[in-house]
Amino acid sequence: MTSLLNALNAGKTSLLSNQKSIEIIGNNIANVNTEGYSRQRAEMTQIPAVTFGDFFVGQGVTVSNVCRDYSSFITKQLQDKSVEWGEATGRSAPLTEMERIFDVSEDNLAAKINDFFDSWQQLSANPSGQVERDTVIQQGQMLGSAFNTINDQIDSAVTNMNTEIIAGVAELNEKISQIAQLNDRISLVEISGQTENAARDQRDLLVKDLSEKLGVQTYTDNRGMLCMQLPGGLPLVQGNQAMTIKTVSTGTDVNLQLEVAGSTINISNDNLGGEFKGIFDVRDTFISGLRDQLDTLATDLTSAVNAEHIGGFDANGNTGQLFFEDLSTLVPGEIASRHVSVVITDGSQVAAAGNPEAAPGDNENALTIAQLENANVANGGTDTFDGFYSQMVSDVGLEAARNKLALSGAQDAVTQLQNLRDGYSGVSLEEEMINLMQYQRGFQSSAKFLATVDEMMNSLLQVKQ
Amino acid sequence: MKSTQGTTYRMLGSRLNDISTQLEGLRNIGATGKKLNAPSDDPAAIRPVFNTRKQISNVERDIKTMGQALDTMQATDGYLDNVENIMQRAKEIMTNAVNGSMTDKDRDVLADEVSQLRTQLLDTANATVNGKYLFAGYNVSTQPFVENAAYDAALYDPNDSTTWPVQYTGDDNATSLEITTGRQVEVNLTGNNLFLGSSTWTQDPAPPALPAVNSIDTDRYDLFAELTQAEEAIRNFNASAPYDETNPDPPSAGSLQAYQQAMQTSLADLEGAAEQNRRLRSQLGNQASLVQTTMDDQEGANVDLKAILSRYENADAIEAFSNITEQETAFQAALSITAQVAKLSILDYI
Repeated sequence: MTSLLNALNAGKTSLLSNQKSIEIIGNNIANVNTEGYSRQRAEMTQIPAVTFGDFFVGQGVTVSNVCRDYSSFITKQLQDKSVEWGEATGRSAPLTEMERIFDVSEDNLAAKINDFFDSWQQLSANPSGQVERDTVIQQGQMLGSAFNTINDQIDSAVTNMNTEIIAGVAELNEKISQIAQLNDRISLVEISGQTENAARDQRDLLVKDLSEKLGVQTYTDNRGMLCMQLPGGLPLVQGNQAMTIKTVSTGTDVNLQLEVAGSTINISNDNLGGEFKGIFDVRDTFISGLRDQLDTLATDLTSAVNAEHIGGFDANGNTGQLFFEDLSTLVPGEIASRHVSVVITDGSQVAAAGNPEAAPGDNENALTIAQLENANVANGGTDTFDGFYSQMVSDVGLEAARNKLALSGAQDAVTQLQNLRDGYSGVSLEEEMINLMQYQRGFQSSAKFLATVDEMMNSLLQVKQ
Repeated sequence: MKSTQGTTYRMLGSRLNDISTQLEGLRNIGATGKKLNAPSDDPAAIRPVFNTRKQISNVERDIKTMGQALDTMQATDGYLDNVENIMQRAKEIMTNAVNGSMTDKDRDVLADEVSQLRTQLLDTANATVNGKYLFAGYNVSTQPFVENAAYDAALYDPNDSTTWPVQYTGDDNATSLEITTGRQVEVNLTGNNLFLGSSTWTQDPAPPALPAVNSIDTDRYDLFAELTQAEEAIRNFNASAPYDETNPDPPSAGSLQAYQQAMQTSLADLEGAAEQNRRLRSQLGNQASLVQTTMDDQEGANVDLKAILSRYENADAIEAFSNITEQETAFQAALSITAQVAKLSILDYI
């Protein structure tokens, strides 16, 4: 009898194990499209055999663990590549905006510079013409407003970037604290020897997101808790403790700060990675470089024109007048390229003449100023005005082209790695279906086995009748 | 390794994404006809493009300026032709006057005509184009030549412009215009050079400062003075003619000869003055033909520059369209494969 009851028990364990496996398959299929889900499988072990006389007879099967298909190597690779991809993404939007501002159209700043000097040349052909004189002033004002437009557009691009930073930080903090919570849960659950598969998957996904945004670095401690820090080593998560990132506005700029155990630390660009590094790099290095160059262009252009204009004579014989506002005397902190404006108000004040008589046909100074267009006076006397500007535009172009290349490269790499991860950890419907059939057959066989044992028991019970 | 539903659709998705991004770029090129739409399309082309655009704008401005210069030069040439005729006529009159067979009356008529010619010359010298005096240097809005009311033949001194019969209020600045980048030409002649035979001119300072003294250059002529003196010579000769009944006191043969001599000298001077005008006119003609040639060159340069710009900026239409077709085919292929993948499922077989 003992053995028949044992057989019933073995059949029961088989039924339960196969049923458990089918449940797991069901869960796999359910999560076929869940991002970051690692395929799970039941690990079956036989129940230790007992001695029966001279033999060891097995006692059935049990599900000893539910583990996930997981490769920490691939996961790490994916997180690393996400950092690169995130950085390129962060640079991408502002650089596209810069490309729009420093455009190659036919009415950009270079064209306005051409128009301005063209108006002087036009004046040189008819120095006493009131229309020509007014045109010079108008073109000067147009040039000023072109400088202003570029400044406005850069400002609004920077504002957008700051808004994006502020909006992004809330999400970052949410994710950082989630990781701390998951750490807590994993350590609690796993202390009993089980694996918290779902929480680990979720945590990996969060780390990947944060790698993309902040370029975080991670390592796991002996309790299964994940320690996360910024590239410079500032801690973000320690055990179940999450730090908070704050935004702080200094002037028009928004910067990041980290609150660690009651103290506040400024997060410099070296301490960042991923998308935020990309955004901060473009804002603090690239765009501010462009602004400096724009200021240089504005200062060089206005001072070169002013220097000649002061030496000339207006229609009334007055000399020593500025044409543009003098940018060298600006209050420190003022943006030079925002102050390109014509200070003379009347056409008669345009100093077209080169001689004190200021005869109406005297075009000498107009010719001199018109010739500044082709003189190497910009950027410390090394370039023409439009040449200097074209250098700026091609710098923007180079940076954007380089980033496009980096972005598509990183995107390819991330896609490849995601495929690799899915190839290892993902759910294949075909595989699940086949496994389903396999366990179904196992279940059916166990049931058949139980029926057989039952018949046998019946046969035994009928012996006494 | 296995291929899962996720990897398959991700690959298909990213491929479709790639192709449609490329297609968008190509369609943009096809629609605008330009391959340089953003700085990143070709950063190396930006400097040449901007520079070429500047050159085109400069060339177009230069062509306009040269057009204006040529107009002025043609007008000037017309007036110089006038001057030429006046001087020619004055010479003929003088030749006649010198001829002894003329009666005093005839000579009076001739003298009147010379006086008339001088007025004509004065009008020509005060010629305007677009309301501006042509021969006034920079002083284009002031009439440059005025009769000297205080003129006295006896006090005439070629080295003191205040004694000359016609006074000049212009200056000695010829107008320079830029005809190509960095190259300027003088497009007009100044009145002092053309009519007064003085290559430099110092403006009379306002009183009470002493008047500046300008003089006629060596071997050059003041056209007004020559005509005035021609008239004077004829009238002087007439006044001293022995046959005139109004002249009871015939001059000596010697002084008559002197007046005759004065007319001869005047004739030679008129010839010299006409020659001076011809020389300056041909000088201006040379300048004009230089401007004309440069203008033709610049028109050609404009076409060349536009071709260069087009090479950097414009897309090759055939290439753009064949690229679009190529990508569209790839897109179709990717789409049909995506559709095929969806059809194939293990669920149809179990």
